[in-house]
Amino acid sequence: MEDGQTRVMTFARSANFTLEDRAHCLELIEGHDAGHRFIVGPAGVSIGRTAPADIVLADSEVSRSHCRLSLENDNILTVTDLNSTNGTFIDGVRISHPTAMPVGAVLRVGRQSLKHEWRTHREILQHDEFDRDIAKARSYVEALLPHPIGEGPFKTEWLYEPCSKLGGDAFGYGALSPTQIMLYMMDVSGHGAGAALHSVAVMNLLRQRALPNTDMSDPAQVLAALNHMFPMQDHAGMYFTLWYGIYDTASRQMRYASAGHHPAFLVPPDRSRAIGLRTRCAPVGADPGTRFSAATADIPPGASLYLFSDGVFEFVTRDGVEWGLNDFIPRLQRPRVEGLTESRRLFREVRRLAQPGGLDDDFTLLVLTFD
Amino acid sequence: MEMRHDNVGDVRRVVLVGRLDTAGVDVVETRFGAAIVPNGKNTIVDLSGVTFLASMGIRMLISTTRALSRKGGRLVMFGATPGVHDVIETAALTDIIPLASSENDALGLVG
Repeated sequence: MEDGQTRVMTFARSANFTLEDRAHCLELIEGHDAGHRFIVGPAGVSIGRTAPADIVLADSEVSRSHCRLSLENDNILTVTDLNSTNGTFIDGVRISHPTAMPVGAVLRVGRQSLKHEWRTHREILQHDEFDRDIAKARSYVEALLPHPIGEGPFKTEWLYEPCSKLGGDAFGYGALSPTQIMLYMMDVSGHGAGAALHSVAVMNLLRQRALPNTDMSDPAQVLAALNHMFPMQDHAGMYFTLWYGIYDTASRQMRYASAGHHPAFLVPPDRSRAIGLRTRCAPVGADPGTRFSAATADIPPGASLYLFSDGVFEFVTRDGVEWGLNDFIPRLQRPRVEGLTESRRLFREVRRLAQPGGLDDDFTLLVLTFD
Repeated sequence: MEMRHDNVGDVRRVVLVGRLDTAGVDVVETRFGAAIVPNGKNTIVDLSGVTFLASMGIRMLISTTRALSRKGGRLVMFGATPGVHDVIETAALTDIIPLASSENDALGLVG
């Protein structure tokens, strides 16, 4: 089972509530099922990898019968580990005996994180309706993302994991001419619905190659056109960072420009280096006076290009250390892992290093590997 | 996230402490703007206590600088820690807001 692709099976919402009755809930806060909510009724619930657990989490790091949640004295949610192999954690601390779980605390079971909420049934119903709308919006955003490419002058694969139900990251690639491939990665300031709407507007323009009076094969022109169209003062104070490139399959050259974005990294087949590709310009929309510049890089056969958002490397480790880009770059050069895509390998590394409870920012990583 | 402000002569001095991420900006943004923009004074912002600068923090700094500029004032940052300095450099933020290495240099730039 891959990270972030856990299949969730659950028991029905069996408890009978009036709309104003409050209930203890556990909400998944990571992965594709983020937002999925389980109600802990008066009889309590068990969590495990298979039935007869009440909450079934199809995660190989969850034991068949992993832990039990019950309502003890005065309606206090209490967690008991059932001799699980990998342990049960509350706010990062492994429990060894029945332990009270306060509202807001995060329960970690295998690779799953569940937050304790105390909600009225009315709130739950409203939240569920809102979640359905957000899920539709997320499906729309994901429908705009390109399919991985498995053959041709380069191959692509990617991972897109918004930290909230909607994110402001976006990326794309596609043919501009028989020998030119356009590719980009963008990151709107902030998260959530506003950032997602902003990124969708830009994505659709780039997908349609629809920037007015702009040579789409000139990265500096593209950034300048977007800067003119999306000033932050006219877009709820939002700006975005962007890396935009044109790969010429005939010359094996990449022409690129970046705006407020960290470099894309080119890693040769021997993985001896990670070469940053970046031009120094302010983010798109931040300053109408920005002058954008472009640069060119040769692409060696077999090299890989990594484009990603800052959520990939900006996180706090389990030791409380703020990670940054310079900490992440050496991870790019590590050997590939058989059976894992590069984006999945790096996501696993980051998840392993980061504090439990989910990443604070969107994780978006695109890898192109050239023939 | 914490914020303090006072005056150094005719210059407003604002000190930010903590993580300037989405949660930090939520806490401090209104007070930050209110401390700087209404009187239109030249302002220096001490970043030495900022442990992390995210895109929402950059957005707050740019928006406030713009609003102050419309009132004729200038804003200069100083004291960025190495991690925050890297973020500022990556975003080319200094193309929009000057960054000084010390308080005295910042005062010199707005003076």
